[in-house]
Amino acid sequence: MANKKSLHIESSGQLCIYCGACVGICPLNCIYLDETRITFDEGICTRCEICVKACPVGAIEIG
Amino acid sequence: MASNLRPDVLVVGAGPAGSMTAKWAAKQGANVLMIEKRQEIGSPVRCGEGMSKEWLREVGIAPGRWINVEVEGARIYSPSEKVFEINEKHAGNEVGYVVERDGFDKQLAIDAANAGVEVRLKTAAVGLLREGSRVVGAKVKQFGEVSEIRAPITVAADGFESQVGRWAGIPTNLALRDMDTCLQYRMTNVDSDVRYCDFYLGKVAPGGYVWVFPKGEGLANVGIGVQVSQVKNLADARTYLDRWIDHHPGYAKGKKIDMVGGGVSISPPLKQTVADGIMLVGDAARMIDPLTGGGIANGCLAGKICGEVAAEAVASGDVSKEFLQKYEKGWRARLEEKLYRNWLAKEKLVTLSDETFDKIVDALAGVRLEKLNVHNILRAVQAKYPEVTKEFAAFL
Repeated sequence: MANKKSLHIESSGQLCIYCGACVGICPLNCIYLDETRITFDEGICTRCEICVKACPVGAIEIG
Repeated sequence: MASNLRPDVLVVGAGPAGSMTAKWAAKQGANVLMIEKRQEIGSPVRCGEGMSKEWLREVGIAPGRWINVEVEGARIYSPSEKVFEINEKHAGNEVGYVVERDGFDKQLAIDAANAGVEVRLKTAAVGLLREGSRVVGAKVKQFGEVSEIRAPITVAADGFESQVGRWAGIPTNLALRDMDTCLQYRMTNVDSDVRYCDFYLGKVAPGGYVWVFPKGEGLANVGIGVQVSQVKNLADARTYLDRWIDHHPGYAKGKKIDMVGGGVSISPPLKQTVADGIMLVGDAARMIDPLTGGGIANGCLAGKICGEVAAEAVASGDVSKEFLQKYEKGWRARLEEKLYRNWLAKEKLVTLSDETFDKIVDALAGVRLEKLNVHNILRAVQAKYPEVTKEFAAFL
């Protein structure tokens, strides 16, 4: 994991609006939406960054 | 509650397509359980709230208090803001009523419940149950507790972010070009017109459009869809929408009182929407009109067919993929030709320059079309700007 970039979804209420756009486009089906929380499976995620583009408010960052 | 742990039909998701499926399955005699992960059906709203109306009778939806505004038509704005008006009857599946979407979804759920459907809120599907290749129900989580619900037929009506279809091995993945990322503000004190749904085309919204759907005097949903493959920077949807508002004094003076976002598929129809013991319906089956982004009418029309076939399959004791082809064929016969045609039209539209949009809208603004179709539109454009229609020779 040391070399993998970390993916961060700002879903603490500041940016994420829980719309599910990232969930629907994730090619690996590894993002999950509860009504007030978005989580992703770090082990499956390949950091393809598609969700970053799909997010209408820029709440996902990979760095 | 315990009496219904083994329903005939398990519907995952209580949006319009789910409620419609559940209602029609119950009306045909099936024992139906519909689960919804949210605590409140229809809320929070993730929708522009525009819909056409001529299809409502076909699926048995009566007009109700969920209707906000009845519009006369649509106004299409080119990049230099030439305008072309379309009567509501010809304007596609986003124009007719502007609705209170949460009220609409609740009414459909009430209709389903009144038809005998059992509803469980705060219940999310977390996996599928299988026997060999056949889906035989779902693993669900309610109030933190995981349990199993077995059913001969499972219906995935779990919306744009559908996981159930993918768990069943039905490919519903979208490419970047097959999705618009959307953002919308509810705005008050704006110069919208309650007679029209407005659409702004061109570079203001690459691969999509800006919409203004009136909710009442001075109140409107102002939103944008941008094709994900055309997104360059973080939060482009918001940036483009804010820029559009800034450039329109009638909206820049308004106040935002609500914000919603979401994804909309703009793909061609899926190749497969059934497998052994399972059917996909609505946004989960990528049934959204790829030209307008409207999904409610198609989801409900397919939902009726899905519910009827589900009940029939259960009654006959055959829930195989082969039997469920009846649904696959049924919804395609009703929707596929238009979905495919509108997908082709959208594929062309996303390539047009602002200059071309201006010419097309300008040519249409000056004529009165008897019937609105691609052929008539192109003939009108050809009369004024013959050079523009060269690109469209295939459509003429």
